[in-house]
Amino acid sequence: MVGLSLGEQNFIKGGIAQDLRTDGRKRISYRPIFVETGVIPQASGSARVKLGGTDVIASVKAELGRPAPSHPDQGKVSINVDCSPIAEPTFEGRGGEELSTELSSALQRCLLGGKSGAGAGIDLSSLSIVQGKHCWDLYIEGLVVSSDGNLLDALGAAIKAALANTAIPKAQVAASALPDDEPEIDVSDEEFLQFDTTSVPVIITLTKVGRHYIVDATTEEESQMSSAISISINRQGRICGLTKRGGAGLDPSIILDMISVAKHVSEQLINKLDSEIAAAEACDDEDDEMDS
Amino acid sequence: MAGKSSSTPATYAPSVSGQKKRRPLIQADSDWVRPDGRSFHQCRPAFLRTGAVNSASGSAYAEFGNTKVIVSVFGPRESKKAMMYSDTGRLNCNVTYTTFATPLRGQPPETKDLSSMLHKALEGAIILKSFPKTTVDVFALVLESGGSDLPVITTCASLALADAGIMLYDMVASVSVSCLGKNLLIDPVSEEESYQDGSLVITCMPSRNEVTQMTVTGEWSTPKIHEAMQLCLDACSKLGKIMRSCLKDAASVPQD
Repeated sequence: MVGLSLGEQNFIKGGIAQDLRTDGRKRISYRPIFVETGVIPQASGSARVKLGGTDVIASVKAELGRPAPSHPDQGKVSINVDCSPIAEPTFEGRGGEELSTELSSALQRCLLGGKSGAGAGIDLSSLSIVQGKHCWDLYIEGLVVSSDGNLLDALGAAIKAALANTAIPKAQVAASALPDDEPEIDVSDEEFLQFDTTSVPVIITLTKVGRHYIVDATTEEESQMSSAISISINRQGRICGLTKRGGAGLDPSIILDMISVAKHVSEQLINKLDSEIAAAEACDDEDDEMDS
Repeated sequence: MAGKSSSTPATYAPSVSGQKKRRPLIQADSDWVRPDGRSFHQCRPAFLRTGAVNSASGSAYAEFGNTKVIVSVFGPRESKKAMMYSDTGRLNCNVTYTTFATPLRGQPPETKDLSSMLHKALEGAIILKSFPKTTVDVFALVLESGGSDLPVITTCASLALADAGIMLYDMVASVSVSCLGKNLLIDPVSEEESYQDGSLVITCMPSRNEVTQMTVTGEWSTPKIHEAMQLCLDACSKLGKIMRSCLKDAASVPQD
């Protein structure tokens, strides 16, 4: 909840109408993105993303599991978001629950693709070890450390970075004499497989304030929104998921226009994010070498 | 759905569509017929009635094929004591499934999400300023889940709101489209939903031509989204007409 006076509200709205926002940005420019990977040693992969005052952490844990009977040749991925009260006092107790479920379902929709697994950013069949018997379960956890708007985009970027940082142990299947026997899995603690993240989409939230839309809105700007749409777009420029985040109704032609704006923005964001992730990974490797 | 018929062969399953043979999906086959014999761009027949629950301020019953939903609306009534003062009204949505709604007994996992999706779909259509300091409760109960549950719930909830006399900008109609291979199927049943590559749900106010909620899953190209949106919007405006005539019928029947 942001308490803004009428003057402040008009200042924000007027600035957006003139393409000059309160922090000096243009309507479709992001705040500087800061990516750090390998922040949680216990996880298979982790990343921290800072976007202005917004600060989120994502961690990926891989565990051995059993594939679902409906998809015996695929692994499982679950995405969960925790809104900690350290970010905002209103998240205390069950206060953050609604936002948490909203964010996790939006992320699932944007990253995991359709029911058949088509269009998923994460290739689920690469998580399979023995068909119908063993697979990797990926548990992706997001944590909101500090909240200053645009949480979904930040979490999406953090998950992409965490997946790029993820190393899944190589699993050797011991050949068993009988085909009905439970195959034995030997999990290597030295050899790891890197995860292919080129197809993981980025999420772009366009917030409509007045007649214009902006990317990467701060909490103050979000409080003035009439409606917002989150679109996830992959490198090929295809849409992998879309959620409207409540608010007033929109004309269908405006939605299509927003999709094309998001596509344009996504190209820059993907390149920016990829170079940030690569830099963070290089930095992380350097640290490892120093430690050893 | 999948594997159901093989794992529990001795159980009597009342769902007609679930009993039918599970055909393997052949995407190249253009003669592929939908389980209930509809054409790809044909919706299920809709049955709508208002006044399903006597004690509620307004209520509605919707039946789209095997999907059966009851929604009741209570209020506007006093907000809970713990709520802060608000000069606009509040909307509270809750979606529950009966334990016998799905082939596998028990609650489907995504009900919490459904409640917030319903809330978002409706809030853009309700004139919240018309009932300050109070709350309107919308309770939806899915009696039988037969696919496209959320669009049916949303449509039914909007009818119940209108029946309760809550001020609305317009009725809200909702339609979903499934993408299976190259084909777009409107108003999918659960069997089709379990095979789908992607889905698109649009909730709109037909006479204002405004979209209040839209979700897309799976990978879509822009032309395909255009096509699917147009398909949904056309279906929504038709559904809107059916809803209007249902309300008119309810108003013209003399109350006993």
